[in-house]
Amino acid sequence: MSARQTSNAYAFIAFPLAVLFVFTLLPTIAGLGLSLFQWSGGQEWPAFIGLTNFRGLIADERFVASLRNTLIFVVASVPPTVLIAFALAVAIDADWFVGKSVTRTMVFMPTIVSIVAIGFVWRWLLDAEAGLLNWLLGLVGVTQTPAWLTDGWWPMAWIVIVSIWQKIGFCVVLYMAALGSVNRNLYEAAELDGASRLQVIWHITWNQVRPMTAFLMVTGVISALQVFDMVFMLTGQQETARTTVLNLEIYRQFTQGSYGYAAAIGVVIFVLTMIVTAVQLAWFGRRGARA
Amino acid sequence: MSLGQKILAYAVLVAGSAVLLFPLWWMMTVSLSTEIEAQEAMGSSEIRVFPSDPQWGNYPDGLRQLGAASGVLADADGRVEIGDPWGGFKDALANSVVITMLVVAGNVLSCSLAGYGFARMRFRGSRGLFLVTLATMMLPHQVTMVPLFLLFRSLGWVDTILPLVVPSFFGTAFFIFMFRQFFGQVPEELLEAGRIDGASELGIWWRIMLPMCKPVAAITAIFTFIWTWNDFMNPLIYLQSPDKFTLALALNTFKSQFGDMNQAHLLMAASVVVMLPCVILFFAAQRYFVQGLNVGGLKG
Repeated sequence: MSARQTSNAYAFIAFPLAVLFVFTLLPTIAGLGLSLFQWSGGQEWPAFIGLTNFRGLIADERFVASLRNTLIFVVASVPPTVLIAFALAVAIDADWFVGKSVTRTMVFMPTIVSIVAIGFVWRWLLDAEAGLLNWLLGLVGVTQTPAWLTDGWWPMAWIVIVSIWQKIGFCVVLYMAALGSVNRNLYEAAELDGASRLQVIWHITWNQVRPMTAFLMVTGVISALQVFDMVFMLTGQQETARTTVLNLEIYRQFTQGSYGYAAAIGVVIFVLTMIVTAVQLAWFGRRGARA
Repeated sequence: MSLGQKILAYAVLVAGSAVLLFPLWWMMTVSLSTEIEAQEAMGSSEIRVFPSDPQWGNYPDGLRQLGAASGVLADADGRVEIGDPWGGFKDALANSVVITMLVVAGNVLSCSLAGYGFARMRFRGSRGLFLVTLATMMLPHQVTMVPLFLLFRSLGWVDTILPLVVPSFFGTAFFIFMFRQFFGQVPEELLEAGRIDGASELGIWWRIMLPMCKPVAAITAIFTFIWTWNDFMNPLIYLQSPDKFTLALALNTFKSQFGDMNQAHLLMAASVVVMLPCVILFFAAQRYFVQGLNVGGLKG
């Protein structure tokens, strides 16, 4: 690229980015900086206390539990969401499939419904006394069921399931757009070579939508590391050591007026996200170059 | 595919869609129930497929209540005593429409511009700059909320729509990333052709990239619309005068005023109406984003 083009490129990106940085990067830096202070949000200036907040985190059992739970949530929810969405998108995209637009709209519906309604409905479905799930299980003779939203690891399992259910429509929509731009000649060539349906999906479709998979994985992990609403709504704000997540701890510290400590947890999320994202981008970038 | 497989596929589909549509059906059922039925449904004691006597009147009542929630005085039956009973609802609707339209326009333009830069221009520091852009998504909203508020307050923008609208004109990392992923797939030959014809980078973005990437633009527009339309957190922080409230904020105010759930039927009726534009938009616009990138332009 010539020097002229390089300066061109800077000019091009500069305009949107300059102000993106003012409105998001500055607050981000300020938020990160706050982790080195003790501040209760009042009129007085924050007091600089160095790394004291971070030392506090290591000894904080709730924080350690929330870190573990968040990682479980990320690993259990993001890859299945992306994989199931890919499978669904391929199925809906198939030529023989009738009712594409209605199906797309239905799959997409949970994404539009407000999280409040989602919380109501799922708490009711999983209710121990009158829940639909236990009623259905009763029909097939299963009467000994755990209390889905309080017993052991069941609440976390349901948080993962409901989260997959909610996010899948979004991923399906993006995959369908990506599928639309796959070069059809590749399919014909593969069929001439006698490739089976599964071989075509794996070697051609999956490879061709790789940029979209990268996007969904990276942004999915970023938002999963910040999971909040889903836990808040499903556990009825009664989170335990097995359901609390990092962002809930931030919220809890905030409502108690520990702004600096909350910001320190924010820094943990930030650093964690940064590392995972850099690794993912490098991985997808390399694989993309080889393909 | 054999007939048996197709039948199986449709059976799975029907079962799956029942699960997917459940919340919506439940919202509809409660919104058409009487006050007592709604309380029973909320209290998990009874499952009704559909109310025996649909209360369509809940819809106008719910919307008037919604309007009243954003400040205009209403009596116990939801009748507004002063002025136009629909005034509050009309105001909130107008505010939502104006804010959402501006944010959608801003996001599509600025994100496609920056996404084009990241996808097609290799320059020193582009990877680092891209990672920094992504980094703006990585800190939970709770942490940046306070600094951001202080920034907007010092600009004197509190209680105006500016904090909600202006940032979108300068891009959202999420959509910049999405545009970058799509723009990366456009064949280089097309851009070269444009450059040989003497088009500027800006001209290539506007005349070649944007028309080819209608699906991405459509997806960005739809999701920006849905998220902005439903967002109540930011309006809650920055809008203070009731006449500036958006529908989502009015809905949230309505919800917290009747936390004891004895207005659940009206709340759900209002929720369904507020949700409706998103459903219609999605249904109408989906044909744009499934057609794929318009690579047919290559043939000419």
